[in-house]
Amino acid sequence: MSGQMFYKDEFSAYLKRRSFLLRIGLITGGIFLNSCYKKIRSAKYNIQGALQGPDANAGHLLRDKLKLPSAKNTRKVKTLIVGSGISGLSAGRWLKKNGETDFEILELEKHIGGNSYFGSNKIASYPLGAHYITIANNDDALLIDFLKEIDVITHFEGQLPYYNDYYLTFDPEERLLINGAWQEGLIPDFGVPIADKKEVRRFLAEVDQLKNTRGNDGKFLFNIPLNSSSTDENYRKLDKITFEAYLKEKGYRSKYLLWYLNYACKDDYGQKISHVSAWAGLHYFASRRGMAANAAQNAILTWPEGNGWIMKKLAEQLKAHIKTSNLCYELKPISNGNTLVTVWNTKTQLTENIEVEKIILCAPQFVNNRLLENFNRNIDYKAFNYSPWLIANITTNELPESKGVSLCWDNVAYNTSSVGYVNAAQQHLNLSEDKKVITYYLPLCDFEPAIARLAAYSRNYEQWLDIVIPELEVIHPGITKAIETIDFWVWGHGMITPAKDFIWSKNLEKAKLPIDNKIFFAHSDLSGVSIFEEAFHQGINAAKQVINATS
Amino acid sequence: MNKKLPALLLISVFVVATCGLIYELIAGTLASYLLGDSVTQFSTIIGVYLFSMGIGSWVSKYFNKNILSWFIQIEILVGLVGGFSSTVLFLVFESIASFRIVLYGFVSLTGILVGLEIPLLMRILKDRYEFKDLVSKVFTFDYIGALLASLIFPLLLIPHLGLVKTAYLFGMLNVAVALIVCLSFKREIKGAKYLQGGSFISMIALLSGFIYADKITSFSESQTYSDTIIYSKSTPYQRIILTKKNKVIRLFLNGNLQFSSDDEYRYHEALVHPGLQALPFAKQVLVMGGGDGLAVREILRYPNVDSVTLVDLDKGMTRLFQSNKILLGLNKNALLSPKVKVINADAFSWVKAQRKKFDFIVIDFPDPSNYAVGKLYTNAFYKLVKGILAPKGLIVVQSTSPFVAPKSFWTVNKTLESVGLKTIPYHNYVPSFGEWGYIMATEPDNLYKKPLQYLPDLRFISKESLDLMLYFPKDMGKVETEVNKLNNQILVKYFEDEWANVL
Repeated sequence: MSGQMFYKDEFSAYLKRRSFLLRIGLITGGIFLNSCYKKIRSAKYNIQGALQGPDANAGHLLRDKLKLPSAKNTRKVKTLIVGSGISGLSAGRWLKKNGETDFEILELEKHIGGNSYFGSNKIASYPLGAHYITIANNDDALLIDFLKEIDVITHFEGQLPYYNDYYLTFDPEERLLINGAWQEGLIPDFGVPIADKKEVRRFLAEVDQLKNTRGNDGKFLFNIPLNSSSTDENYRKLDKITFEAYLKEKGYRSKYLLWYLNYACKDDYGQKISHVSAWAGLHYFASRRGMAANAAQNAILTWPEGNGWIMKKLAEQLKAHIKTSNLCYELKPISNGNTLVTVWNTKTQLTENIEVEKIILCAPQFVNNRLLENFNRNIDYKAFNYSPWLIANITTNELPESKGVSLCWDNVAYNTSSVGYVNAAQQHLNLSEDKKVITYYLPLCDFEPAIARLAAYSRNYEQWLDIVIPELEVIHPGITKAIETIDFWVWGHGMITPAKDFIWSKNLEKAKLPIDNKIFFAHSDLSGVSIFEEAFHQGINAAKQVINATS
Repeated sequence: MNKKLPALLLISVFVVATCGLIYELIAGTLASYLLGDSVTQFSTIIGVYLFSMGIGSWVSKYFNKNILSWFIQIEILVGLVGGFSSTVLFLVFESIASFRIVLYGFVSLTGILVGLEIPLLMRILKDRYEFKDLVSKVFTFDYIGALLASLIFPLLLIPHLGLVKTAYLFGMLNVAVALIVCLSFKREIKGAKYLQGGSFISMIALLSGFIYADKITSFSESQTYSDTIIYSKSTPYQRIILTKKNKVIRLFLNGNLQFSSDDEYRYHEALVHPGLQALPFAKQVLVMGGGDGLAVREILRYPNVDSVTLVDLDKGMTRLFQSNKILLGLNKNALLSPKVKVINADAFSWVKAQRKKFDFIVIDFPDPSNYAVGKLYTNAFYKLVKGILAPKGLIVVQSTSPFVAPKSFWTVNKTLESVGLKTIPYHNYVPSFGEWGYIMATEPDNLYKKPLQYLPDLRFISKESLDLMLYFPKDMGKVETEVNKLNNQILVKYFEDEWANVL
């Protein structure tokens, strides 16, 4: 019987794979034909800019395991950190705080920062990925310590932290374009029928209650970092159904509410409610309880360069330890119990071997999969899905406005595929700027991630314009002629998707475990949600494990 | 010669006379708008104009051949000079030094050209009529034209077209006369083609001037402002408009009244003296906003003040108040004083980078009607200002109307208090603004002593008036509000709500 079952699984997997390939073929073929057509036709828009993303060559080198020239030398490093995103930098910070000096952080890109990378032009710095954090939950002592360290928290008034006035998002904060006007806030309200408003209120009341509820183990049901959430099975089981199914079961039908929830999931997870688990969906709303002396609960902290600002602060103390343009290629156990790491320098084109006692892999798991071919990690890498994103930084002379609230930090339009744009200069103190940089976020979630990713890689600059401009025109009619430049940035693996049965799965639990007490892991994909706080704690956790294993 | 000629030429006498007088009226009106003192302006303009006409008449004897052709050329020239006169005068107004030269230059030139026309016409017509008929006809048409001009100018043209468009319209009429004469008698005129071409081009130039006149003083603007606009300019930061009615000059920034010259002393005396008079030791003074130099004018009355630093975002604004003669009269050359240092910078960033301390700080920003200006009323900004205030020093903040916008006013008060300052709110009546509010602030352990005496030549402030100003009747009494912060700009919301009820 089991044999037959096996055969059936194989067959359906085969069919699945066939249809997957077919769909990829259709989509990329379509994009290719469209680009040929574009070449014949003259360019539609007179807009300049760049189309960039993470280093594709380095990525391919790893994926296709191209042969490297053999290493000339081998040097020793006690602890090696692979990856300089928030988790890698956070691990480095923790090692340094604990007196470690012999460690190195390798980054395959020319720059550090991972998802918190940013760009800048004459007018403003602007994010290329993560762009805000919320104020810390008051029980998150590690994060609060760090925020104090970097002067994001300036002092305490009584029990409550006082956040730096310049980093709390300047008012006006959020607006939503709905029914022809910009309303304040993102929860649909303007021109929304009473029945829908009631349902929205019901949902918000429900999550507000969840926010303050503790499970049978006395912990909050939803908390940050995730692993400090309650283990109460009554709630953890919500990870086994989709958010969509949960909402249906609870009788939420309002299209306005569902739009808002889809927006929220796209914003934080890069996927719609149908593709994230109910636990993750609720976590977005019920995990943030931060209180401040000088801001509302759950207030937002941001900077022109987005989380690039915090990333720079994290990296400041670590400069001497960071090596960019260094691709970690392969890990091998060696007889003395250490690990030999093969590293390819993309600048000098030289290979070197580093013999390490401990290594923290702060890369996403699809990368680790390539690095660890000599080890038996025994996890299902296919369960890790990453949502692709397009970020467009748009420099414009003006924003033709519709009626209602004026330009805010976060600007969202109802029923559009993007999650809106942020004003990069929101935290500027100067009175008036004639030009603006807006950072527009488009989660590519209309197809399954692998297909959307390939489609994203095959589009050229003009084709991205064709996707982005029409929506911008809906939001700001007439904006096209005011646009000076648009720079696109494609994240193929933008965010881990907290899909159904992922966050609390056995698989993820296994993935967090170190190998032989020598190889440790830290990345937000191991938490299941791609937020700063998770990466920050992941880094500290791994560093702590390293320190414990050494002593 | 054609029979139609005499009639046509007599009609042109009429047009020429009308246009001539219109140009004179335009110049007179512009001069009195821009330079003030209308009796002097009109008197000198009329004098110079009539004298120039005399020169023109005298010069006419040197024109011997092709008189008709000369007549047409002069017509075209009058049209061009007259048509563009008011535009040019508006444009050069900012640099007032050369303004009078340009003004009288224009008046003389038009005068000479108009003065040439009548004698030339009379000579063209001399063989058609008997001398007594000729004189009678020409002058009849001339004076009828003058009457018409003097009636339509104030009744129709100024209210409906404005100065700039009127000038272009009459310039076109002049050229039209030239063109019609030219077309009707092309066989009798030498170089008719050249003259026709010339008139066509001039016509197009004047027509485009007429169409684009709105760019110079926008038509809609002249309807928005009840008074005559004498200056308007868009800087990168704001639209500056100066208007004048009788002797009263008003300054508008983005359509909001900043001051009216007949009562601004009430505002600026109240802003400066209660604070500065109480600080006999004050040497270093800072003014933020207030690019009009009127607060600086009040500050410079104190001999103990060594230096005044004025920080205003808009170079266009400070430059205007450093160069325009009427405005220099208003601020008594304050911004040209060697004690005054003008810095064109964004106040927030400037204060943030500033280390020097000031004894007296005047904060005279526009009202918090939008989020951009609202930043300059936040606790974050006041914290920085507190940091550059000398230990015994005082800050004073213009704080909108406590009568119309009590919540806004008391929010400024609360925000100043929230950064650890003691406040002294007060108010007075400024007819153009209504009941207006100011708040002084100082370190909590400083005692504010009401000055017993003030400088001699103040018109409003005195010991008694300050006592009244410090008292808040119930209808302006303190209300509880929140602190205005960068991350909750409540002041902008209050301000919008409260003023929406009024405006």
